[in-house]
Amino acid sequence: MRDSERSAEFVVFVRAHRADLLRTATLLCAGDDAFAEDVVQTTLTRLYLSWGRVRRADVPLAYARRSITHVFIDEARLAHRRRETTLADPTEALAAEPTVGTTDLVLREIVLGALASLGPRQRAVVVLRHWHDLDVAETARVLGCSTGTVKSQNARALAHLRDVLGATDHQLSLEVS
Amino acid sequence: MSPSHDLTRALQAAAETGRPAVDPGADLARARHAMHARARRRVRTGLVGVAAAAVLAVGTVAVLDRSATDPAGVELVAQRFEATPYTFDLTPQGWSVQAQQPWAVTIVPDDGSTSEDPDVFVGKLVIMFDANRPDGRVVDHDGRRFWVSGDSGYTTLATRTRAGEPSGVVRIQYPADAGWDERSMVDFLASVHVGAGAQQGSG
Repeated sequence: MRDSERSAEFVVFVRAHRADLLRTATLLCAGDDAFAEDVVQTTLTRLYLSWGRVRRADVPLAYARRSITHVFIDEARLAHRRRETTLADPTEALAAEPTVGTTDLVLREIVLGALASLGPRQRAVVVLRHWHDLDVAETARVLGCSTGTVKSQNARALAHLRDVLGATDHQLSLEVS
Repeated sequence: MSPSHDLTRALQAAAETGRPAVDPGADLARARHAMHARARRRVRTGLVGVAAAAVLAVGTVAVLDRSATDPAGVELVAQRFEATPYTFDLTPQGWSVQAQQPWAVTIVPDDGSTSEDPDVFVGKLVIMFDANRPDGRVVDHDGRRFWVSGDSGYTTLATRTRAGEPSGVVRIQYPADAGWDERSMVDFLASVHVGAGAQQGSG
């Protein structure tokens, strides 16, 4: 495959899907913008280096979403030592938020704070299951774990999110699956 | 009355960055740079293999036993460098210190293929100092004990600091696809001296 052809296809892909990948990264990184941007950049570079696999994928965006999850897990694991010491109690962070603003902006900060208090793999489970709408088996395949692990991580994560949001002025209605 | 949200809507609200679209040019330039860097590493590996005998003759420690699936090679040379409070007796050719802190040193390839953010460790060599108990497969080398562990494409080597150094465990974490191998990493870790200003990281 010629470089020019690969580059042209890559540019089209980035133009179409970068925003989607950034939204995914924002959730995975719990609103850490710099971390999310770095995850996106690393993912796009990896996709370019293995562009043949992206082309052969049934759904290139789905392939990219799996890749970004892997990049996030790698980076989160590597950065864990440093990052884990900087995470604050999300309810403390929320207490400092301004009380005025649109519902969505307030909700955004609350949800990101709650996601930040989950472990990286639990966060990935939530994003894969409830943002990418993958089933349990596919989520397990992406994360390289058993379906039972996905179910238990998902249940714990949702219970935690419900607790954190319940401590604020918001309620989260959700089904634990 | 408290507002109620379903999870999808909550995630949707959380995912919105509000940032404008980015021109793909920067992503393309970064990706092309990484591809060229990978090609250069592959060429360099060939040169390292040809020059192996000469390299050994001048007293360097070379990484020679690459497998067919390991396209890149990293050469360690007997040259001291400082990353205060750490000192290294060996220098990896083509790699440089990106960040040094009392609890860690980050070393990156010179080809620009890794993040400029020192807190992002993907593709980098990270030397850490902490008090956690080392575990994993045991390797004895030159009178010292090393522990090897790893997963997800990364390997971590750990060893206890020498007598006279701050007490603790010094570790090296390295990516499997960057040309490092266990033997050279043991040599490299054994060359680390932990200075008085070192602080144990948490975690």
